[in-house]
Amino acid sequence: MKIVGIAACTSGIAHTYIAKEKLVTAAKELGHEAHIETQGTIGTEDELTAQQIKDADVVIIAADIKVGGKDRFQGKRIVEVPTHIAIKSPKALLNKIEEEIKK
Amino acid sequence: MLKKLQLKKHALTGISFMLPLVVASGLLIAIGNIFGGNPDVITNYKESYTIWQAAVTLGVYGMSLLPGVMGAAIAYSIADRPGIAPGLLMGMIAQNMGAGFLGGMLGGYLAGYFVELLKNHLKVPKWAQGLMPMMIIPLISSIVIGLIMFFVIGGPIAWLSEALKNVLMNMQTGSKGVFGAVMGAMAAFDFGGPVNKVASLFADGLLMDGVYGPEAVKICASMIPPFGVALSWVIRRSRYTKSETDNIKIAFPMGICMITEGVIPIAAVDPIRVILSCSIGSAVGGALIMILNVGSMVPSGGMFIVPAMINPWGFMLALTVGTIITALLLVILKKDAKQEEAVVLDAEEEEVDLSEIKIS
Repeated sequence: MKIVGIAACTSGIAHTYIAKEKLVTAAKELGHEAHIETQGTIGTEDELTAQQIKDADVVIIAADIKVGGKDRFQGKRIVEVPTHIAIKSPKALLNKIEEEIKK
Repeated sequence: MLKKLQLKKHALTGISFMLPLVVASGLLIAIGNIFGGNPDVITNYKESYTIWQAAVTLGVYGMSLLPGVMGAAIAYSIADRPGIAPGLLMGMIAQNMGAGFLGGMLGGYLAGYFVELLKNHLKVPKWAQGLMPMMIIPLISSIVIGLIMFFVIGGPIAWLSEALKNVLMNMQTGSKGVFGAVMGAMAAFDFGGPVNKVASLFADGLLMDGVYGPEAVKICASMIPPFGVALSWVIRRSRYTKSETDNIKIAFPMGICMITEGVIPIAAVDPIRVILSCSIGSAVGGALIMILNVGSMVPSGGMFIVPAMINPWGFMLALTVGTIITALLLVILKKDAKQEEAVVLDAEEEEVDLSEIKIS
């Protein structure tokens, strides 16, 4: 799968980046490709490009708070989860998503 | 239904917008008070004032903006941009009626949902469409929710806030200790998870209403788990595997910055003993904080903001005692780690219920 996503947590300094790290690593290990944008307290980093979004099979939003720029994902399949799910079991999450998409 | 409203997500968005403001304001007040010897807030700008007075005054301005920012951010989270103006106004009403944090939150929710309602159900002719976001929505929602705030819910919430504040301020030593212990245990219990967030939200709310103890409990209890684990590793290294040791080396500096989450990998392997040790240590730390009248005007920042606290030595004492208790409990309760366990650590993923996840 090609995955794009957004990570954002309440304090915007720790969980946001842990969630990103976990998702990207898990995706790599499972043979997927993931680009995750972080919306921390510092602002948006690693902003997704239009091409990345266009190519993506699925959008994962791992956030505890409201994220900006969701309108970029119109027509895409979107999964929304709290950050703790992406942190605790990123692989199970990705497998579950893959399974759902194939249906 | 409740789930669909996503109340928690909106509250967390509010907290997330509020945090930088409250950290800046709290530190300004603390710095001004430490160096300027508790100077007065500037009331007359025609007279001369010192730089420390300016710092404290700016901090006080910042604190009084908090319910407004909270209300605006919650309404923004619910209704997007059109929520900001009415949310801000509802927060200002709450601030000035003495309904503080609770009022700001409630005002934000009401404003947000009402704006959302208007956006979805109010149909205007085509020529008036441009007026919707610019005039109609902000005006109507400010009037309707504003009237509700002023005449219906503002008063009772102000009374409730005042009552809660009085109870907490006038607690006797015994109940202070119990309160601190419960807060501390909650804050440490799930290392930054939902239980911690409840305690944290409560402490942040009280901070806005001028009660500083619970915030210090929260800070202390967020640092005791990583410090305690690190100390227990120093005392008895055989309790931890190689990869756990690596995690502890990351968890400790994170702990200095008041990030508890570094302990999660340690707790994931041996949850009951680790959570028990951390909660008990933090409960003792929390109780000491309350009994020693430690307070913090700043909600986050870890060791770096300790000098800015009320009674910093009391804080250090509580932190040290809590850390030692946690460490000793870990040494006593935990068994020696089997080194081969390190191999399976890659499979440390927790079982999480994914059945509710929907792909839209």
